[in-house]
Amino acid sequence: MNLERFGMDTITLAGPLEAKLKAVREAGFGQIMLQARDIAGHPAGEAAAIAAVRASGLRVTGFQVLRDFEGLSGHLHEYKVDIAKAMLEMCHALGSRVLLACSSVSSHSTDDPAAMTRDLQKLAMLAVPYGIRIAYEALSWGRHVNELPKAWEIVAEADRANLGVGVDSFHILAAKTAPEELEEIDPARIVLVQLADFMWQEARSFEERIETARHFRVFPGEGVHSAQVADLVRRVDRMGYRGDYSLEVFNDDYVQMPLAVVAERGRRSVQWLSALTSRGGLPPRARATSSPPASPRR
Amino acid sequence: MTIEERLPEPSNPLGIDGIEFIEYATSQPQALGGVLQVMGFAPAARHRSREVMLYRQGGMNLVVNSSGQAPASPAISAIALRVRDAGFAHRRSLELGAWDMPTRAAEMELNIPGIRGAGDSLIYFVDRYRDFEIYDVDFIFDENTNRKPVAIAGLHWFGVVQAVQAERSADWIDFYRHLLGFSVLPEGQYFGVLPKGTLLESPCHRFYLQLIEPPSGAEDLHWDEGLLRVGLGAPDAPAAVRALQQRGVVFVDHGAVQPSHKGALTQASLGGLCFELVVSDPGRKA
Repeated sequence: MNLERFGMDTITLAGPLEAKLKAVREAGFGQIMLQARDIAGHPAGEAAAIAAVRASGLRVTGFQVLRDFEGLSGHLHEYKVDIAKAMLEMCHALGSRVLLACSSVSSHSTDDPAAMTRDLQKLAMLAVPYGIRIAYEALSWGRHVNELPKAWEIVAEADRANLGVGVDSFHILAAKTAPEELEEIDPARIVLVQLADFMWQEARSFEERIETARHFRVFPGEGVHSAQVADLVRRVDRMGYRGDYSLEVFNDDYVQMPLAVVAERGRRSVQWLSALTSRGGLPPRARATSSPPASPRR
Repeated sequence: MTIEERLPEPSNPLGIDGIEFIEYATSQPQALGGVLQVMGFAPAARHRSREVMLYRQGGMNLVVNSSGQAPASPAISAIALRVRDAGFAHRRSLELGAWDMPTRAAEMELNIPGIRGAGDSLIYFVDRYRDFEIYDVDFIFDENTNRKPVAIAGLHWFGVVQAVQAERSADWIDFYRHLLGFSVLPEGQYFGVLPKGTLLESPCHRFYLQLIEPPSGAEDLHWDEGLLRVGLGAPDAPAAVRALQQRGVVFVDHGAVQPSHKGALTQASLGGLCFELVVSDPGRKA
């Protein structure tokens, strides 16, 4: 089984950060996706959280999530730039090479593609000194960008080496994005693939999607869209994607179950998934993560 | 009706006009000063209030900063660029996503704006270099020293070499291209005796940045991002090598790196400090 390219996400698991890291490690995973809350909300403080992650031996798949960055103006934009900077600094401190930024839901955001492009270029520029790549993800309830092809359009227009898209199977399934549309994306610009399924056929309204996405996701292989998830994984693999896969499963039941039980479900999901992907080694980007760039002077 | 005409971006939006100074940080200013003097840099002035020295050679200004927490081994801590309007250059850079420099790094009395560069280094913007020099305010010149010491064998700034992490050249190319207007030279166009990496030319065509990734197969090699060394241009490289050898400079002369008509590399001292000599005639380039 090729567990190397798959990671779990702390949002799937209950309990303190250290317990999550241990459970993921013990289930045989080599990496973990972290959220800012894991760090900022640690009872012993940020430094202790960072030390726990570094001591776990797990590679950090990525850091989430920067919300509502693109399309704002004036003081709202300035405010978001400050937030982005703080997140980039945390991301770097954790040794993560990927920051996930999801499409704006703000009613104050513009639908002007040129403005969104400019903002993502700025975000990518801010990330350069820290050696971080930006994965721009289309939330299926995003205000102006709610499907992957639209996110790719903006990313392609922005044309920055450290800016790409984050592919999330949940949003593709919920928005019913045609699988063929993925093929338009340059595989080198897919920064991260996040995988999850859910238990019902459709999530039509934005409200339904939000509710499903935040409470009722399940591991790939456990839901009703197994064929589509398998197709997505095979497709990006065939396109030449050799990056990481993260299991992004928000589920209210899983956060009240023993960690080992949930991590085992994750492991079984990977068993199912890994039969679908190439057995090539670690992605080149992942290999470089052993020593991230030195901290720029503050 | 408003007509929005999409004009091409100016190729030198900041009006970059060469390097004003290169700054080294070290807690061993005497030792570095010794090496610099052998290389032909003469001590010219001392900072009024901080442990900062100005060295000069021909048109080159080199600042040695020993205030604050400087590393023992000299490291290039800043490149100061001559620009048309320093305030504009600073504002535009921040607007495009540069990080402002930390305020405590402002070593000069004059307000020289800057942004973060690679590793721990900074990029300063200087617009007072024609009729007035920034050093006139911050530094005390020794009346007995020559304020404009002649360069040995026509030495001048050629460029700076930057270490980047594996597969990170494209990220830094974007940084220099979009923030400062640098352009990538076609692959295979190299200068000097160390032909590797990516070469970026300044929009004023007066100096270069070279990005080098860690050699393949050396994953265990310690490789931090940052500015590695400066390149000094010389119209006649062998003549410059001879002149510097006479002053006691030792050049690397084994393996693939040999002094030649293309350039040379000085032997590292003080824990890694070295200079690259590259054949270049600024008169011809202009």
